[in-house]
This record gives sequence, C-alpha cells and structure tokens, in this order.
Amino acid sequence: MKVKPVNHARAAEAFIKDTPHLTFHDERLWDLRQKRDQQMHELPEWQELRTLASQIKEHTLANLPEYLEQFEANAKKNGIHVHWAADGAEHNRIVGEILEKHGAKSLIKSKSMVTEECNMREYLEPRGVVVTETDLGERIQQLDNQMPSHIVVPAVHKLTPDVAKLFAEHYHTDPNDDDPQSLAWSQRLAARPVILAADAGMTGGNFVVAETGSFVVCTNEGNADLSATVPGLHIATLGIERLVPRMADLGVFVRMLSRSALGSPITQYTTHFRGPQDGSEMHVVLVDNGRSHRLGMEDFWTSLKCIRCGACMNTCPVYRRSGGLSYGAVYSGPIGAIIDPTFNERKYSTLPFASTMNGSCTNVCPVRINIHDQLYKWRRVLAEHHELPFVKREVMNMAGRLLGQPKLYRAAISGTETALGVLPRFALYNWLNPWGKNRELPHPVKQTFHSWYKQNRLKTKKKGEDA
Amino acid sequence: MSSRDAILARLRDNRPDPAAHALPPVARLGDMDASRARFEKSLALLGGQVLAPQEGESLSAAIARRFADAKIICSAVPEFEGTVRIEELGTPQTAANVDVLVVRAPFGIAEMGSIFLSEAQLPTLNSAAHLTQHIVVILSESTLTANMHTAYIERPEFHTARYGVLMSGPSATADIQGVLVRGAQGVRTLSVWWEQ
Repeated sequence: MKVKPVNHARAAEAFIKDTPHLTFHDERLWDLRQKRDQQMHELPEWQELRTLASQIKEHTLANLPEYLEQFEANAKKNGIHVHWAADGAEHNRIVGEILEKHGAKSLIKSKSMVTEECNMREYLEPRGVVVTETDLGERIQQLDNQMPSHIVVPAVHKLTPDVAKLFAEHYHTDPNDDDPQSLAWSQRLAARPVILAADAGMTGGNFVVAETGSFVVCTNEGNADLSATVPGLHIATLGIERLVPRMADLGVFVRMLSRSALGSPITQYTTHFRGPQDGSEMHVVLVDNGRSHRLGMEDFWTSLKCIRCGACMNTCPVYRRSGGLSYGAVYSGPIGAIIDPTFNERKYSTLPFASTMNGSCTNVCPVRINIHDQLYKWRRVLAEHHELPFVKREVMNMAGRLLGQPKLYRAAISGTETALGVLPRFALYNWLNPWGKNRELPHPVKQTFHSWYKQNRLKTKKKGEDA
Repeated sequence: MSSRDAILARLRDNRPDPAAHALPPVARLGDMDASRARFEKSLALLGGQVLAPQEGESLSAAIARRFADAKIICSAVPEFEGTVRIEELGTPQTAANVDVLVVRAPFGIAEMGSIFLSEAQLPTLNSAAHLTQHIVVILSESTLTANMHTAYIERPEFHTARYGVLMSGPSATADIQGVLVRGAQGVRTLSVWWEQ
C-alpha cells in the first residue's frame, strides 16, 4: 500500500479552532523568540559566532568519516563501548541487547530526538523493558501517548489543566491543580523512586568531540545527569552529525545553543561525558539513519549542521499557529520540513509547503542553514518527483497562468482597489487553499504607493529644494 | 560489511569536497571580564545565589543559618565536617537522603555564572551532586575565567575528567505552560560561598 502524505493543513484545523491553546502557543513561542533576540543583542560578536559555527560544522561534515574514527578511537581508549547503527531498527536491537546482557528491565532516559526517530520505546516495551522519560515535557507527552510537538519544549501545545488531568490519571494528584509549580513538584516526587530503582540510564548527546572522545549533554532539569549517573549502566544515543573536531569548538556552540533555544545564556546543566564512573559501564550508539545519504544531497546536506535549538520553530508563523503535532513527524517546524522528506519523500511531501517563505527561520538559525531556500528547493524536487499534492498543483497552475501572462497580471493590479478587495479573497479563500482559512489579509489600500509618492514625496522634495 | 564500515564508506562517497571547507582557528571572542561582579550577575540570572557570611560568620554557621531544617549535611571538602562525608554515602539511595551537599569547584565561568564539578570533586559518587536537595559550592575568585571560549581553551579538566558538569544555577523547567520553576529534578537551590 502506498504511504499517504501527511495532511498538515487538516491536522492543524482542530488546533486552530481551539483559541486558548492556539493563543498561548503562539505567544509563548514568540516570547522565546524575543528572549533570544535580547540575548543576541548582548553579544556584539553574535554574527561572527554564527559564521564560525557554520564553518566548523561544514568542515566537520566534509571530514566526517575521519572525525568519527578519531572519536571512536578516543572513546574506546577512555573505556567507552562504541556501537554503530545504520538505521533505527539496528539502534533498537543494539540497545535491547545491551539491556538484556545486564538483565535490565527498567530504563530511565532523558530527551533524545534520535530515539524518537528510532521508535525505541515501541521496540523495547513489548520486550519487557519499562522505559520512563524523565524530562518533564517528554514525560507529559509519553503519558499522553503523543510525539513531542517541539524539539526543545515537547509539551508546549498543552495548557496547565491538560497536565493536571494527565497527572491525576497517572500520578493520582489533584485534577484541579492549576499551579505549574506544584505539578512540576509532583513530577519530581513521581520520578525520584523510578530513577533510584532503574537498571539502566540513557541520554542523547548535543555535541560529540572527536579530539577527546567525549559527548556533551545540555539540559535544564537535572534529569539527564540523574539518568546518566544513578544506574551503573549509561547508554547514549548519538546522531553521527553531532561531531565537532575540538573541545575548544564547544565555546562557539554552547554560547549560542540555549540563547537561540530559550533565550537563556546557557542550559542549567552542560555535562561532558568522557568515560564511565568507577564500577559502571558506558555505551554509545552512533546512529546514521539516513544521515550519510543526506550528506550526498547537494542542495540539502547543510541541514546536517542543525544543533536542534528550535529557534526556527519559535519564529515560524505557520508553526506557531498550527502546532508541532500537525506535521505528523518527529521533526516539526521549518527544520522538520526540510529534514523529514529525506526520511520519506511521499509521506512528508506536504511539509515544505507549510511555510510563508518569509525567511525568518534562516535569519535566526545559529549555524546559518538556508532553511527557506531549502524549503523552496524541496518544492521543486517534489514537483519533479510528482509528489506535489493535488491542491498545491492546482493553485500553482492558477498562479502560474496569472503570473505568466503580463497582460492579465497588469490588468489585475491596475485597478488596485478592486483587485486587492476582490482578487486575493477569491484567490486565497476558496476551498482549494486550507491556509486561507482563519486568516485575513490586511485591508486594501486606498491608493497605490506610486500615486501616493507622486502626490506627497515629490512635493516635499520640491519644498526642500526651495529652502 | 559491518554497519560501521558501510556508514563510513557511504560518508566517504557522499561528502562534499573537504578542500572546500577549512576548519577555522579556535575562537577567543567576547567580553573578557572575569570579575566576581560579572559572575554574580550571571549566577543570579540563572537562579543561583551567593551565600554571604554575616559578620565574619564561618561556613558552617552560614549553612546552619541558611538551611536551618537540614538534617543530613554531606561534605566533600576537608575543611568542613557536616554530618556525613561523601565517601561514606556509598550508594545513590543513601545520597538521595542528603539535604545539603558542600563541594569545592575548581573554577567558575563569569559569563554564565557556571561552576564546574567532576569526579575529582565528587569522590565515588557523581550522582550525589544531583540527588541532594541543595548544593553549596565553595569557589575562589582567582579561578574565574571570562567566558566559554576561555574556559574551554584554558581549563585542562575538559580533557581529563571522565564526568564534568557545568552547573549554572539550580535545576529548572518551564515545561508546564511556560512557567519557570526553579528546582526541577536536580538540586532545588545552588549557593556559592566565596573562599576567603
């Protein structure tokens, strides 16, 4: 059976109708964007940092096989067991085998997008391993049986009463608790005994350092450090694109990661793992899962520079108003829209169209990924591969006919008042374009810019010349 | 072919031209102010506190005042006794009962208000730093480094520690409706005591 493309626009409809959720989501993410801007303005070297980050990442990706080998050799020297996984299935099998060897039946883990890619929980749980997400947002999503809706703030689409209801169901707390502080406390109380009794712990890795054989985990809640240090067995799942050559390169990235993500100068915890504690065991699984293939895509390989800060999501008007779950993919927002089609071109063929092409994502990206250019290029690739959804095809045909005929186009805009008042409504708010729903265009101008300029500026200029 | 070799071979086939992507020299940018004032400002921003002595108060008197209800105070430093030594904790389960842990950080970062801890400061039990309810960090002004660049360039610990954590204030979360909660799953408070 052919995979059906995600119907992003339809999935977003329910979210858009729910005003309190939509409003909070939109404002919360925009607030993160503004906090990011404040931090950026405090560093005069910000643009230089972005350039350096981009150069370091591009260099590393162009030399990735050598750096991976260097990392592997150093990690082994430090006493870390290194595994390689070509895809999600192999990753899950490796983790399952490590756990089985240790007789581990409970696994506590911190946030890792790679394990989401691999559907690891779905693999381990039928095999008798209880997997507990320890990050608060990730735990909320696990209890609700949903994917994370944002790569940094996984439950950002939920309001306090949603969490209170879930916690009441699973933690037997007060369903009417409307205090985030006390709900967070409930999570701490529920997680502690699970953490203390766990057989194994798992983390992801934000950065992997070739020079030292280390990996670095950036978190805020303390759950990742607990997951890594309490059980005697620590497994880390690492995407192969997360390499940097030198320890000193981290200065560039750590200074920008949390500033871009949350508008805080640094995460509360920045943890460098270089080897196991005495009496413990440490494993890393280097996961490819399509990355080596993506490296060969001329127009899209630079998406591998991504450090998963989520700044592009926070700034994206479509993401903020449609919610991460509507993308139907592990990665949502602008970065998701350019990564997801590399996993499954047909299934995610609609996502590159979930953009207004305003370019804001590109402007905030700390590693200078040309996200909006890649969105555009994906549209072309999908059109060439006939993965263009019918609706987009029709709208584009109409637009193409209009824009392709100068006479028709000029006729349409010459009577500006009539055109802006009538044409866009017709063009945008018909059944063919679901993005036209719930949105209004600005009021049509009374006068075109050209005629206003003639009347005003030209006069002013003359006055100025007189004086 | 093993997955390792297959992945490496595919990367070699697919990569962009290495000659076109040179590695820039290590960056040493930004504000080079390594002062105590800058550290304290950054620490406050991330929710950390300074434990300031009142009228020539000793560390143990300040801790007794600040954590009046604490029953188990664990020491990882020679000059302070506490009720238990970190080496005596033995297991995370015991460490989970600690109210206050007193440690010494080898250095701090002024830009972030971060302090560094590794297995050298947490003998036998790295998890003690996260299972305790509160942590008091002894820090010397002379060990402050200006920012993340200088820290990674100058501090040897990043190359030698098997476990090295930069803690910047206490644990925190804003995962429920964006409300910032300080004291998530790790330490509920982090206080810095300036070495005299």
